[in-house]
Amino acid sequence: MENFIKKVTKDVDLSFAILLSFCVYVFFSLNIEIFFSHNISFAILERFAVLGLVGLALTICIIAGEIDLSIGSNAALCAVIVVKLTDPLGAPFAMLIGLSVSTLIGAIQGFVIAYIRIRAIVITVGTLMLLRGLALLIAEEKTVMLTDFRVPDFITTKVLMYFSPASLTVIFIFICVGIFMRYTKYGREIYAIGGARKEALTAGIPLRRPMVIAFALSGFCAGFAGTVIGLKSGTAQGLGLQYLLLAGTVAAFVGGVSILGGKGGVLGAAIGALTVNFLNTGLVFYALQVHFVQLFTSVLLVIVIVFQTMSRVFDSRQSRKSLLATIDERKTTLLEKKRTVLGK
Amino acid sequence: MTTITQNNKSFFPSKFLQFYKDRTLLAILLSLFAVMFVYGIFFTDNYLTITNFKAIIRDAALYGIMAIGLTFVTLSGNFFLLSLKETASICGVTFAMGMATGFGSPDLVGNFLVSLLAALSVGVLSGVIQGYFVGMGGNPIVVTLGGAGILYGIGAWWSDNLVINFKRPHDAEWLGTGSFLGLPSITLAFILIAIAAELVLRHTNFGRKVYLVGANKAAGRATGHENFSMAIIVFTICSVCCAFVAVAFVAQMDSAQSNYFSAEFGSSGDMTILVIATVMVGGNSIMGGYGSTLRTSLGAIFIAMVDNMMVLQGFNSGPRIVGVGLMIVFSIIVFGLFAKGSRAQE
Repeated sequence: MENFIKKVTKDVDLSFAILLSFCVYVFFSLNIEIFFSHNISFAILERFAVLGLVGLALTICIIAGEIDLSIGSNAALCAVIVVKLTDPLGAPFAMLIGLSVSTLIGAIQGFVIAYIRIRAIVITVGTLMLLRGLALLIAEEKTVMLTDFRVPDFITTKVLMYFSPASLTVIFIFICVGIFMRYTKYGREIYAIGGARKEALTAGIPLRRPMVIAFALSGFCAGFAGTVIGLKSGTAQGLGLQYLLLAGTVAAFVGGVSILGGKGGVLGAAIGALTVNFLNTGLVFYALQVHFVQLFTSVLLVIVIVFQTMSRVFDSRQSRKSLLATIDERKTTLLEKKRTVLGK
Repeated sequence: MTTITQNNKSFFPSKFLQFYKDRTLLAILLSLFAVMFVYGIFFTDNYLTITNFKAIIRDAALYGIMAIGLTFVTLSGNFFLLSLKETASICGVTFAMGMATGFGSPDLVGNFLVSLLAALSVGVLSGVIQGYFVGMGGNPIVVTLGGAGILYGIGAWWSDNLVINFKRPHDAEWLGTGSFLGLPSITLAFILIAIAAELVLRHTNFGRKVYLVGANKAAGRATGHENFSMAIIVFTICSVCCAFVAVAFVAQMDSAQSNYFSAEFGSSGDMTILVIATVMVGGNSIMGGYGSTLRTSLGAIFIAMVDNMMVLQGFNSGPRIVGVGLMIVFSIIVFGLFAKGSRAQE
């Protein structure tokens, strides 16, 4: 029991994320009869293939202490490229081109941020617009469509009851990125420049390498999400997919990243994305309009932000209290020593 | 004698360079203005007409007013709001509801003053709430991203996501389509607000405080100017500007819908990003403490000019958005390179 409490209090945000996702799941399971079933689980995992990746992309950026606002545009650009090139080149080749374009865009963003040393939000607002314009330009302001809708079947067939090739790939990406972030030098560098940028730079970590890696990874994830959406629906629009930013941010913050950077992880991103998926899938059954989904997602974000701020304030107060307590303790021991010495 | 001249010689260029360095972006912007202007005169039909210039400034006015409000937020070091268009949309819905239904009481139907006050107070409320969260230590981007979803959701819920129409002859007509001295009233409002904002920022105690808190939060706290109250005030100013634009726009259209500002608007297809772009293209430091509303107004006119020229040349929305996006990225990179190691950076 004591061990359990220690584990919970060690990472409060992650425990809160698990609790929150559990609550959301239980709430919908109790209210909707078929929510707790195989098919719904499959549907949730299908959504996870998209949202999880966006959440992961934003998680990596926020761990590095930055935020990437261009994620929706990047996904839209990749979706347009993939859908447009699938007809002449075939799906695998189109995916390769789209993903490499997205990754390259991410890497260039990371390089510019590290080279000029500006905040990512500044440059990514510009690229948000630029990439959206490029996507429109490539799509020629139209909705791009696949001519053969049997092409994307290879990523949507059901395997093992709950999975599809798309969600399996995404889970594989999650595991790879998790190992990369946790156990390799390059992954730890991303944590370092996020948590304590000045100290990391003084310790000799080059800013450019982790920044380029973080943004390339996030670009790759965003591109992959765009690819999955584009191929699954068979259509892509230049102006589409902007909702991904809100959903991804909510997923990342529910997963326990801190805006100050250096905190959070892949497991949190997965749990956060699942929470948002539970919410979205559950709301489908109430047949609500789109703006209600947006409203509830935002409310979730606000709950998490309030919780994080409160826990930060509580932590600082607690640490101050304990500091004062130790000072008091030392004072009393010193006084006692003095007294005994004088008494002698 | 010789020493004095030497001193003068070394003094003059460094001061000149300093002046130039501080105003590089302004200079680049003005020269680009000139290039655009000359290009427009020679290669575009119907460019050099008074109607066209009026149209440019009228376009610039709509997002220029919002951008002037946002400049206060940016100067005070709170980055920017991602909830601009949602604030505008909920205020527009409020105004249209007041004009069409009078908030339930038949006496108030079409009462301009009550509707305007209601819209402005909704703006104040949203600004104060978001500013409170930011002042408490929340990240402005994340807080306003959440706020955007909530504001949009409430606005759409209230209006049932329908278009709210109100009757044509109404009190608000002078604000939407009226004109004064040959200029549309929204243009006049833009000019007046720009001048007022510049005066407030330059010559009042409050304006200097905005610069102080933006340039150095620690120094601001040490001198008793917490970011908490500052965030609330600047967010309120920005939201009220959004509310004003929304009212003017709705009065012009005689109708409102919750996604009027989300659909294609001007060149960009997204009001929020366009307004943020205006602030950045003007060359304000996004880290705060450096910039002015004059730059923002010039940025608004510049974007409107580029957009106008591309429309006259027959470009589609794709190239136009690419053009504005390139302009933002260019100005950010130039500003970042020049500001490297100087006071304007972080």
